[in-house]
Amino acid sequence: MATLPIKNKIRELRFFADEMTQQELAELVGVTRQTIMAIEKSKYSPTLEVAFKIAEVFGQSIDEVFQYQSA
Amino acid sequence: MDMSFREKSIWISLISTLLIFGDYFLNIVSLSSMPAEVSKAAALGLSLRALLLIIVVEILLQGLLAISNRKEAAQGSDERDKLFEYKANNFGYAVLVIGVFITLGRIVFLEFNTEVIQQSTLINIPLLTAHILLFSFIFSEVVRFSAQLYYYRSSH
Repeated sequence: MATLPIKNKIRELRFFADEMTQQELAELVGVTRQTIMAIEKSKYSPTLEVAFKIAEVFGQSIDEVFQYQSA
Repeated sequence: MDMSFREKSIWISLISTLLIFGDYFLNIVSLSSMPAEVSKAAALGLSLRALLLIIVVEILLQGLLAISNRKEAAQGSDERDKLFEYKANNFGYAVLVIGVFITLGRIVFLEFNTEVIQQSTLINIPLLTAHILLFSFIFSEVVRFSAQLYYYRSSH
């Protein structure tokens, strides 16, 4: 599966949030660690609900976390 | 290999289905050389054995998996698991529909060509219509599991 056009800054935001682990973020958002990993690598685009939850965890707006990059 | 609980569970289902029903279908084909009265009872016995075995193996292995991954098992499927399941269901359903139509076609064909039954040894397998339907169902399950695993592996 090729990388999807929705890019994100989750890895960077995790680093600045006291090096939050993927597992910790997954538990806060209510998905598996593997799903967070797939989102970070742009191999899976989350639903709006999960995208909003991730942004909320980092105290950011959704467009600061996720960016759409057309081909 | 980094796998989620759901992915591990699908691997278990795929491998047990392939092993148990693979053995079952091989045994069914070998029944065509037996006398009808013997093969009918043997076919029924094989079907029951395979069904019982898949239930026991699935309960045992899925139970062990859940015990060794209590936290993940309690969490259940997330949105990515559900998406892959929906996508894979489409493939499985298509295979099942093809199998049902093949079975219907066979029933209609044999109704108008009764002489074919006497000529072919393969068609003399007891309860063949039931086995074709069962094969379609099992094959659709294998396709469904494989498609799910493909999506999991592709998103790593």
